[in-house]
Amino acid sequence: MPDKIQVHGVERVFGTGPAAVAALGPMDLNIRSGEFVCVVGPSGCGKSTLLRVIAGLIPPTAGEVTLQHEDLRTTLMSVVFQDYSIYPWKTVEDNVRLGLDIKGVGKAEAKPMIEGWLQRLGLLNFRSAYPHTLSGGMRQRVSIARAMAVEPEILLMDEPFAALDAQLRLVMQEELLALWQQDRRTVVFVTHNLDEAILLGDRVVVMSSRPGTVIEEFVVPFPRPRSTELRGTKEFAALEAEIWKMLRQEVRDMVLEQERAGA
Amino acid sequence: MSINQTAPSVGLRASSGGQVVTRVPGAVETDRVRFARRRRIKDNLLRWGTPVLVLSLWQLTTALGVLDEQFWPAPASVFAKAWETIQSGLLPEHLGVTVQRLLTGYLAGAIAGVALGLIFGTVRSIRVALEPIISALYTVPKLALFPFMLLVFGLGPAPKIIMTALAVFFITCISTSAAVLGVSDAMHEPIRSFGATRMQTFRHLIVPAVLPEIFVALRLGSGTAVLVLIAIEMIQGSDGLGFVIWSSWQVFDTERMYVGIIVAALMGVIFQMGVKAIGRLLVPWKPR
Ligand SMILES: Nc1ncnc2c1ncn2[C@@H]1O[C@H](COP(=O)(O)OP(=O)(O)OP(=O)(O)O)[C@@H](O)[C@H]1O
Ligand SMILES: [Mg+2]
Repeated sequence: MPDKIQVHGVERVFGTGPAAVAALGPMDLNIRSGEFVCVVGPSGCGKSTLLRVIAGLIPPTAGEVTLQHEDLRTTLMSVVFQDYSIYPWKTVEDNVRLGLDIKGVGKAEAKPMIEGWLQRLGLLNFRSAYPHTLSGGMRQRVSIARAMAVEPEILLMDEPFAALDAQLRLVMQEELLALWQQDRRTVVFVTHNLDEAILLGDRVVVMSSRPGTVIEEFVVPFPRPRSTELRGTKEFAALEAEIWKMLRQEVRDMVLEQERAGA
Repeated sequence: MSINQTAPSVGLRASSGGQVVTRVPGAVETDRVRFARRRRIKDNLLRWGTPVLVLSLWQLTTALGVLDEQFWPAPASVFAKAWETIQSGLLPEHLGVTVQRLLTGYLAGAIAGVALGLIFGTVRSIRVALEPIISALYTVPKLALFPFMLLVFGLGPAPKIIMTALAVFFITCISTSAAVLGVSDAMHEPIRSFGATRMQTFRHLIVPAVLPEIFVALRLGSGTAVLVLIAIEMIQGSDGLGFVIWSSWQVFDTERMYVGIIVAALMGVIFQMGVKAIGRLLVPWKPR
């Protein structure tokens, strides 16, 4: 069977003429069905752009993305957005139900599924609250629940835990690990946190500074099921150091380039 | 210059070279219930006391002959006149006519404006074709069109209702269209990623997202609609509040003129408050 996600020579340019910004690529990346791939890279290197292209929200300006939709009865993919983008006019529960509403799932049928996700993300007591009464971390959890509730074949997550505090982040990582180990969806997970990338991913893809390309891929050798104890091990630290060595240069390049652009 | 002169004395102690800033509960925090009650009483006194005071002063000055009764009839005589016109059936009749025109025209204009605004916001080609015309017509003084309306629609109620409709139509159409275009990509992306149809996008995203702005336009439009309708009733026809005001002026019945003005003003205020209340009901997610 062909790879679940094939990104082939994908580029994305924003704007035209002298104002054009090459945001991404050329990018090549193949992701197998059931694989958990983490993407790291300096800020502004095109990680969110890559996810948007895969999600079909913006077309690539060159190249091609091919996706395998295995079972047409399930949803192909859903996205957890970096800026949450939950709807202020919907209660927590209604926000989480959005994907199911769009699919035409009846309210009664959706209810147990929604409640399960609200429960898992610690939102059950806030089901009738409007988003403006929630903290940033809670909004982020609503947006995670919204993406999970449709049980997609592919889950695209753009820094989903960035707004959570350190403790909650650990809990959510464990939760995601457990969930994924149950049903093995294909996940593309963007993060700035190397430790998180190694803990969760089968593979860590390091992107260059803008326009982002793949400069290195690390296969994470630790067997599943993993637990958060893995963090304490020597091998974990060694891998993290190796990835950081790769990334550090790119982050420096980005900062230098921004200084040049600003000067 | 010492710090104490400019800074609030509470919670601030000046000492040589430096100062200690403290943050302590104020009067509001220490007794919320009493504070809220005191403020409510004070607000109500101001709210109802001010008009009562103004009316009493007015009454007093006319009684003393400071103001000429010819131009400034005393509030008491205006109220007496109001009662008289209510009993004779004159006021209810004309008010009824105006309210009916106002509601018919306003509803028609608002519905057409919102609908066309939504279409403009969603269908690019229609927007490009028609929006410049709508924007241009918006700036035409609506009252100038009235003679034309009379020519086309005759002397019946239709021209008045259409003019009222136009007063609210343009502002809601333009605001709605702008609001739809203003819905950000970030808001569109989740629903697009779920593959929503156009109707689903309307229902789950566009309509709720633009409702608050639509209601701002509807409130502004309510004021203009009242203005236009009263003005037109003054110019042409022989019924409605505008006619009452204008004809009273012509026969120099100042008391009846005041009754007309006050009733028209009250009608406008109540109308506007009604629109606002409906807006609040339909937009429950907005923080107050
Ligand atoms: N809609 C857009 N219009 C113009 N430029 C854009 C647009 N979206 C992204 N860009 C530019 O493309 C580049 C990549 O943006 P992107 O959001 O993909 O970065 P990122 O890797 O997700 O960054 P971060 O880690 O900070 O979220 C940036 O320089 C950004 O300014
Ligand atoms: Mg991003």
